[in-house]
Amino acid sequence: MKRRALAKSICFVFLVAVLGLGTSSTTVQAAGDQSYDTLRHWIEHSRPETDLTPGQHLTLEDRAILEPLIPQSAWEYYFYDGMDMEITETGTYPPPEDWGQNVPSGYQLDEQGVLVGFKGGGFPFPDIDEDDPQAAQKVIWNMMWRPGAEDYVMPMVGWSRSPNGQLDRQFEFTAVTSRYARGDHCLVPGYEEVKFKQLMEFRSPRDMAGAKMLTKTYVDHYKEDNGWMYMPAQRKPRRTLASERTSEVMGMDFIMEDFMGFGGKVYEHTWSYLGKRRLLATMDVETNPEAGGPHLWVPKNARWEVREAHVLLIDPKADDHPYSHKIVFVDTETFWTLWMFAFDRQDDLLLRMNQHFLKYSESFAHETATQSPYMKLDYSNNVGQRIFYHLGETDINAKKPHATYMHCYVMTRHFSSGRAKQVYSVRNMVSGRR
Amino acid sequence: MRLRICLASCALFLGLAVMPAPSWGIIAVTDDVELEGFVKTQNIIRTPMFRDAEFIMQRNTAQLEGKYYFLRESQAFGRFSTGPLEEATLTLIGRGVYDSIYDIRHTYNEAFGKDQRLNRQFEYKLREAFVDMVLPPFTLRLGRQQVVWGETDNFRALDVINPLDLRWHANWEPWEDIRIPLWMARAIYDIGKLGPLEESFVEAVWIPWDFQPNKVAADPRRPWGFIGDGLARVANSAIVEDELFDLNLMVRDDKPSKKFKNGQAGVRFKAIWGGIDFSLNYFYGFSGDPGFKSRSARPDRRYPSCDPTQATNVTQGCLHAVLDRVHPRSHVVGIAANYSEEKYTQSVFRVETTFTTGVPVALDPTAAFTRLDPDGNLFDTADRSVVMLAIDRPTWIRPLNDIRTFFLSAQFFWRRYLDYSRLYRGIPSVLRARNSGGEVVPGRFVSKNRDKVDQNEFVITFSASTSYGPGGLWQPLFVFALDPLSTGAYNKFAMDYLWSNYFILRFEQNFFWRVRSHDPGPWGIGDLYGRPRDSRHESVVSAIFQF
Repeated sequence: MKRRALAKSICFVFLVAVLGLGTSSTTVQAAGDQSYDTLRHWIEHSRPETDLTPGQHLTLEDRAILEPLIPQSAWEYYFYDGMDMEITETGTYPPPEDWGQNVPSGYQLDEQGVLVGFKGGGFPFPDIDEDDPQAAQKVIWNMMWRPGAEDYVMPMVGWSRSPNGQLDRQFEFTAVTSRYARGDHCLVPGYEEVKFKQLMEFRSPRDMAGAKMLTKTYVDHYKEDNGWMYMPAQRKPRRTLASERTSEVMGMDFIMEDFMGFGGKVYEHTWSYLGKRRLLATMDVETNPEAGGPHLWVPKNARWEVREAHVLLIDPKADDHPYSHKIVFVDTETFWTLWMFAFDRQDDLLLRMNQHFLKYSESFAHETATQSPYMKLDYSNNVGQRIFYHLGETDINAKKPHATYMHCYVMTRHFSSGRAKQVYSVRNMVSGRR
Repeated sequence: MRLRICLASCALFLGLAVMPAPSWGIIAVTDDVELEGFVKTQNIIRTPMFRDAEFIMQRNTAQLEGKYYFLRESQAFGRFSTGPLEEATLTLIGRGVYDSIYDIRHTYNEAFGKDQRLNRQFEYKLREAFVDMVLPPFTLRLGRQQVVWGETDNFRALDVINPLDLRWHANWEPWEDIRIPLWMARAIYDIGKLGPLEESFVEAVWIPWDFQPNKVAADPRRPWGFIGDGLARVANSAIVEDELFDLNLMVRDDKPSKKFKNGQAGVRFKAIWGGIDFSLNYFYGFSGDPGFKSRSARPDRRYPSCDPTQATNVTQGCLHAVLDRVHPRSHVVGIAANYSEEKYTQSVFRVETTFTTGVPVALDPTAAFTRLDPDGNLFDTADRSVVMLAIDRPTWIRPLNDIRTFFLSAQFFWRRYLDYSRLYRGIPSVLRARNSGGEVVPGRFVSKNRDKVDQNEFVITFSASTSYGPGGLWQPLFVFALDPLSTGAYNKFAMDYLWSNYFILRFEQNFFWRVRSHDPGPWGIGDLYGRPRDSRHESVVSAIFQF
């Protein structure tokens, strides 16, 4: 009897611990008005009254000027003592010279807003008509087929931080990706059905070092990605499931569906176009912005630019989706995502947000970015590409609250057909660094 | 001296844990040389019947892993052009172990001689040493390494290339740490698209001479001694025609020598067809598990005991017995496949099936000199098949975790003897010797094999894991394994706390259950270490410093 009682006690304690941990994460909430309605109100009614001057430095004292230019859901994090936003001239950033030259015709959006028959080579919808009922989907398709989204090697460092800047985890990992679908041709002949492939490998912490993920994404949007994961502890690849996109990834503060604002399936959502909005963005930063703010969750001393963005409202169709609404700001010229805000289905308050740090390739000619801490990159390769590079982002979970601040060090890398075939293969997943 | 070693180990560990380190992960010593590794202390308390706690392990492990990129972009050492050989690296993984339990516990300290103790408490090994070469479309890995095939987790079907070292904690450790790396060559030729097949390649492994068997601790004094369903004693007697003899048992190791004729090799073809990732596998090797051939058993009545200096009045003489430990040649043919079903079940299905020859089995003594055992050595080889079905699913259980899914994984493992005989026997047991009148003879123990092998053997496993806390720093794991025929089960509740990038605390509670009077089953999942009167429930506390 004693033994049974002890066993019951242990089980009970374990269950209580698990339940306690599970519920504790939802009890802490960020202060401030971060509701969906408030952001909608800000989008529709708040308009900048003052033109900013290039070279101007804005601090907390200039909050009134900044409020119409920073989405209200982010104010809590971006306005702080010691903040310093350097304003630069709104630039124009031409795409690659041959961009849009070899786009095969014959593609269209189907009734679910899914792009059918497109093979790349340019933006599928370079001109967006605000009155088009499918304008939102067209913007997101341009975002997903933007130049610079692939063909790079990207070492990354991510800092996972609690409030007050407490560092919980630091991740180092490298992504290599190549776009296969290039309009009138494919990078690897015979693989015309593939849009792009990506290989990601963790380097630290040690319990994740050597873990590799191979992802194959198809031109056919209805076809799910294929994925494999190699874990050194198992010494073999394991097939992964692609269709679950709403769980946080590897202890970081984003979900796969939030990747670059939207990384999900178009047909799983309802789309609305909310118009255009001017706002500040870290569009062409000098280098990876250091983390600032009281929690080290937001960029500090970064260079900001007033940009015009398409505002998209994305509502998940699934009842069990964690989000009620998601609002994404996509740059009207380059179709890179600038800001994303996702709201909790439970209470319509902010659940997650991300903001992206970008750098234009031609800027590397006169101001190089910080070198990767563990892989030497030749940034001169970037000059002449006429594309943007993703130098990092911040992903904030407002409910925990917690954030992952990321630095990306990007260098263009074009693989030959043979090399791509070798690197992005399941064969490459049967072994790893150990 | 012992105390000093213990203190030095603790000081080293604590020092590493608190000192500031220059890197969070892999340390780049130079542009071409990287180091990583860990120091781990693992402490196990066994709680038989949830009563008296028994400290059975205080194992301290240091592992250092180095990688040298000596050839990049067809340039060796930055100087020599290597043509089509594009990349090459050298990897070295070394491990040192000190289990202080043999110093801390007087019962262990006194149970073993000095050499035995040193042999059990220390281990220094270059576990892996290999060179990777990329020569598209070839890749080659040469050296001491681990190769894992198949889809099964923690049960052996296609994953038989490397043997296991089960001596220090059976198979309850990560298999990466208990696989015995072998010197071998592993070559892969990438084919790519081949008709309707995608991502196809051919892989070959060749182990020229390095055969090693699975290692099992047969010494019952060891905490994880493999002692079957009987007593934790060594058989010192034998009963022949109702008479009790002292036993002089000699086991001759007849394992394959390190010669090319004893090489092992395998090949597999892997590809994707219609979304199904599959492989066809063949491996020609030796059985990692030993069989025992009874060579002779000669009663000698000249003295009452095998040791003439020891007077005894209970035995009738000495039985000189000889056993040959053998590892039969084995063919393993198998198919493994997985499929990611994204629409209806949102699950990854895994399957693996094998046909294996040369499985050593013991025979009941009544089989001697029959058609089943014409040599009368109580040994035979069998053919065996395995079917494994598994499902992996990231699953939302929102009342328990509303921000991250649980990773659920379940396996059904079915092993079947194809040329089964009811005279097949499993693991022998040690029992108290009884005289012809049925009375227990004090201090005398005999070995008897009463473990009948079932033609069909099953295991069902289930595991669930997730992470909690803002950074996912709390990582619980639940494991359940059930052998439905022997009605034995194993449960594990574990929690990792990622204190920092360097420091991990791990708590585990292992339970071993079994229905009384059922046989132990082939894997002894709930029995070997959890017998009704000798249960081995255990609590494990580990601290890991990693870099």
